[in-house]
Amino acid sequence: MADHVEDALVAELRALGDWLDVPEPADQRAAVRARLARLDHRRRRVRRWIVATVAAIVGTVAVVPPARAAVVDGVGDLLRVAGIEVRREAAPGGLPARPSRLPSVRPSTLDEARRVARFPVRVPAALGVPDRVLLADPDDAGAPRVVTLTYRGGTVRFDQFDGAVSPAFFKSAPAAQWVDIGAGPGIWLPGPHPVTYVDRKGIERTETARLAGPTLIWVAGTVTYRLEGLSTLKEARAVALSLD
Amino acid sequence: MSRLDRATEWDDAAAVTRARAGDLDAYEVLVARYTAPAHRAAVLLGAGADADDVVQDAFVKAHRQISRYRGESGFRPWLLAIVANETRNLHRSRRRRDGLVLRAAAREDPAPSSPDPAESAMAAERRQRLVDQIRLLDAPEREVLVCRYLLDLSEAETATTLGVPKGTVKSRTARALAKLRNRLLVEEVPGG
Repeated sequence: MADHVEDALVAELRALGDWLDVPEPADQRAAVRARLARLDHRRRRVRRWIVATVAAIVGTVAVVPPARAAVVDGVGDLLRVAGIEVRREAAPGGLPARPSRLPSVRPSTLDEARRVARFPVRVPAALGVPDRVLLADPDDAGAPRVVTLTYRGGTVRFDQFDGAVSPAFFKSAPAAQWVDIGAGPGIWLPGPHPVTYVDRKGIERTETARLAGPTLIWVAGTVTYRLEGLSTLKEARAVALSLD
Repeated sequence: MSRLDRATEWDDAAAVTRARAGDLDAYEVLVARYTAPAHRAAVLLGAGADADDVVQDAFVKAHRQISRYRGESGFRPWLLAIVANETRNLHRSRRRRDGLVLRAAAREDPAPSSPDPAESAMAAERRQRLVDQIRLLDAPEREVLVCRYLLDLSEAETATTLGVPKGTVKSRTARALAKLRNRLLVEEVPGG
């Protein structure tokens, strides 16, 4: 009885929400941006000090040349290598239950990949011949943004893409750490983590949330590489250093 | 949580990540997306004519604190917590408590379900009584009802917005509903 009455009252309250006279909100975009830009100007000096401090603490970052430092940045909980951003924290809403694929994936061959991609497609010699070659998210001329090679029955996956563009992947992983890969820095993510792909237009509306295994991310030239599925950093690093 | 909500959350997560890295365009996506809900919350929580100022301040503060955003219950309740806080500060600085500035149903019925004018008038009267009684509740109880039912937030979102544990939301909601129900009954039965 009490429940029934309460339910009726709750229903009434919910319905009341639609009837309330709330004025139109003002568009805040320009005002907020102007205020943030002013604040940012004042804080920039402080931030430069913070970056310097972080760089001094994180050894791998401290030794990178200035050009590389522009794309690698360890402020706060965000690790960034060209084209990939890693948030060092648990994923919001937990891990996605079912992985989905990158946009517009099609099977291809190494020869074709080398011909159509706008960046040099490289192969890690340590893994041998790839099982499959996949091209994803092509532009109008058909040049893929991401070239994927899979090995060992699909359990190992090697993505490469032009990282000079704005970030294409977002990852959330609490255990992410900086590592040294040959001449440059990389990021090692030892556990499963969700990956969100941002499509070619840079639109944040991408809903591709893929669950990835242990992953190593690094940069060589303008190309960003991610190697997924090898369980130890040692093994992943050996593969990374075997790029032809 | 529906699939759609999950998708929205990923969108927000991506935008937050970029905003954190200093991308003002990404933050603008969040500002555009959440201005209306933040404004509605500010009005219903009692910001009245200052709701737009509250929303703008809240967005500036949220940007400053964005490195602390952990995404447990989504960007909306996290932002609304700042909005609720700003609204309370407003009351404090004004040194007055005009409570909920609500005007119920000054407008036409959006989908007239009852063609009988007498019945519509009765419904309008009932809505006004409800609003009056909500205004008379103590602030904590009023806020919990506003969040749960007028803003249609979940218990978890309400807890984040008001900065109290989920158990408190539950007990406070029950208490507020009981009070409201009693007062409405007393009103309906004169001398009862």
